[in-house]
Amino acid sequence: MYSGENKIKVEHSLVKGAAGMIRLQGVTKRYKGASTDAVRSLDLEVRPGEIFGFLGPNGAGKTTTIKIIVGLLKPDQGQVLINGHDLALDPIAAKHAMGFVPDKPDLYPRLTALEYLNLIGDVYGVDAQTRRKRLDYYLDMFQLTEAAGDLIQSFSRGMQQKVALTGALLHAPALFILDEPMVGLDPKSSHQFKEIMREHVREGNTVFFSTHVLEVAEQLCHRVGIINQGELIACGTMDELRSKEGREGSSLEKLFLELTDEGGSYEK
Amino acid sequence: MKSRVWSLYRALLNVNYGWSAAKYYYLRKKQRIWEPIVIGVSIAPAAGFVVWLAWTMTEQLYAGGLSFGQPHLPLVTGTLATAVLSLFFGFFYVLSAFYFSNDLPVLLPLPLGSGEILLAKLGVVLTGQYLLNAFVLVPMGIRYGMLAEAGLGYAVSALLSFLILPVISLVIAGVLAVLLMRLVNLSRYKDQLTWIGGIGLLVLVFAFTFWLQNNVQSDDPMVLMELLMNQADGLIREVGKIFPPSVWAAQAMAYANQALGWLNLLYLILAGAVSLAVLYFLGEKVFLQGVLAGLEGTRGGSRRKQASRDLEVRNAFWTLVSTERKLFLRDPNFALNGLVGYVLFPVMALLPVFGKNLGNNPFDLLSLDQLHPLLAAGGVALFFLVMSGLSLIPSTTFSREGRYLWIMRSLPLSLGQVIGSRVAAAQLINTAGCLLGVLPIAYISGWGVLPVILGAILGVLLASGAALLLTLLDLSRPMLDWVNPIKAVKSNFNGIVGAFGTFGLAFLLGALFYFNWQTETLWLIPLELLLAAALLTALAVLLVRRWAPALWARL
Repeated sequence: MYSGENKIKVEHSLVKGAAGMIRLQGVTKRYKGASTDAVRSLDLEVRPGEIFGFLGPNGAGKTTTIKIIVGLLKPDQGQVLINGHDLALDPIAAKHAMGFVPDKPDLYPRLTALEYLNLIGDVYGVDAQTRRKRLDYYLDMFQLTEAAGDLIQSFSRGMQQKVALTGALLHAPALFILDEPMVGLDPKSSHQFKEIMREHVREGNTVFFSTHVLEVAEQLCHRVGIINQGELIACGTMDELRSKEGREGSSLEKLFLELTDEGGSYEK
Repeated sequence: MKSRVWSLYRALLNVNYGWSAAKYYYLRKKQRIWEPIVIGVSIAPAAGFVVWLAWTMTEQLYAGGLSFGQPHLPLVTGTLATAVLSLFFGFFYVLSAFYFSNDLPVLLPLPLGSGEILLAKLGVVLTGQYLLNAFVLVPMGIRYGMLAEAGLGYAVSALLSFLILPVISLVIAGVLAVLLMRLVNLSRYKDQLTWIGGIGLLVLVFAFTFWLQNNVQSDDPMVLMELLMNQADGLIREVGKIFPPSVWAAQAMAYANQALGWLNLLYLILAGAVSLAVLYFLGEKVFLQGVLAGLEGTRGGSRRKQASRDLEVRNAFWTLVSTERKLFLRDPNFALNGLVGYVLFPVMALLPVFGKNLGNNPFDLLSLDQLHPLLAAGGVALFFLVMSGLSLIPSTTFSREGRYLWIMRSLPLSLGQVIGSRVAAAQLINTAGCLLGVLPIAYISGWGVLPVILGAILGVLLASGAALLLTLLDLSRPMLDWVNPIKAVKSNFNGIVGAFGTFGLAFLLGALFYFNWQTETLWLIPLELLLAAALLTALAVLLVRRWAPALWARL
């Protein structure tokens, strides 16, 4: 359980520069009317400059955790720190550090893609020159340049996903958060997108994403966390997970299945 | 097939009217019970008026018809009027339900025949039509039965006519819709069709008003009734030729215990059955192609390509204002419902000027010879206030965003920016709309510029406080879970409260102005309006500061 004393310690450690890009402490969330917690006493740290994969079976609490991190849900207990900013105390500063793409990116259907992207650019205060450069880069990469003036309601799901991705990257966020980002992308876009994530991290930023595609997590992630029934049951690099479970040489898929079947709990 | 259609019909009805949610909250959880009570109380006066009108008109038409040997005139008039209106407006409802609803991607992959889907969807539209028709036809049927001392045969015929007649109207509308969609992919023009439907309704209202203005020479309601009756008789004969089922229904009821009545009832039943069979057959044959064509993505042309070159960098607040304005005005479901008052009231007021009856011109009363400039300014301010509620813009602002609200909530925006931009957008539209309505009236009445400017300034101040309160109301209980955007505005309790609330406040202020007029203290009007605006805004700011942060976090 999280206490006020811990909060002071965390803030001090952040001031000294030892903070994670994301730090969750004792985060618990139970939906109204539910009999169990969607997320229970979750402690998690994502370090600057890493790609962190957040894995778990359906209903494990991945999306709930992400919604708490980006401020769409308020935790019942616990603290969320983003790039050193307490999300509850200074949500605007915390959100300035983030770019977020949800699992179902419902975008305003009656805005054109460009109007939507300009809205995002204005809110994040991206200047005209930078905006034009980044828009040209991403719209060209996602082959959206010609369609940018069309209403979003005429776009396929994949195209909407690409507009949402472009919007989330427009201000070059220190922390890029994605919920199931590969869903809806064609193979070429999916490949390009993986490159974007790597490049984003090379520039010193952080990527946090949830996925069901374990191969992608294995290829891309510096570290992964596995959540099951609202609790973090494993967290670390692939080698750390294998060695901890005594499964040297096992694939992530095998580890994931064994861990989630057993429903074990992670010991830090 | 029958049970599948029935199951689908029940499911669609449930989704459309939110019965499960209502049962869950009102009966199981015993929460929000005050909502249906307030809504019932709100619509009761209007519903009561329609029922009273149908009852009285039946009496008048019966008496009038009796004098020239046609006592069944009210039956023909009522059935014909509802049948024709069902046919005209039913076309847009049916088109929307068949082709534009968001449930089609869910329904089409199910092992259901296209005809089954069509019948179930028709059933949902039909249910709504029965509810609407009931307000007119039930009092009319009962009153006629009492006057004609009709028996059991009449009751059976009346019930069957009530049930079958809308089926025929809506099936004709449905067949037209299915054939049209097979020929042209109207999905691309969904918005335009919604605009046409809405504007069509307005034109009908205007035309009726204009016709009344040009034909009624007397204030006596009996004169109007006689005129309607005579005109209606000719109309019935003409339109009855085009739409015989209404005449069959009327004759089935009028001659209920005679062979002629049973024969007409048989015609009606056969026509109903045949029309359903035709719709089912057409559904099986051509519905799917039309739907699939509609589901295919359509892309804008080169018209918008130039837009992609434009890159505007603006202050975040004004971007939010502009986004709110675009999202409201670009969706005809929002815009039509919100903007109708800005056009309807002034045009209804202006129509007499262009009619023959200049002797009854209400602008004579509004001219400055009769009306003090401060009263004119007060009236303008109250129009601003009333329209800020009737427009539904602030009272449904969060509801209209529905599932898209995650965008604003995940952006680094202060609550002041979020709420302030919505109030500002509402005020911009309200001010433009009100001025559009007020200026022609002011010009014709010779008010001059000053009362309009003074009224507009006071109106903006007054409406701003109201808009802030209504924005908070929508933040406190937004209707975010909708499939059809029209539900976010039309079925939204916040909209009803907003409309009645601003109207109530305007009524109180109007009463105060009357008192000022009586006591010759009209100079107090601007001060009273300023005070009302200050109090309203102070209350709104206080409540927003107190409640809004928690409500925003809770969404």
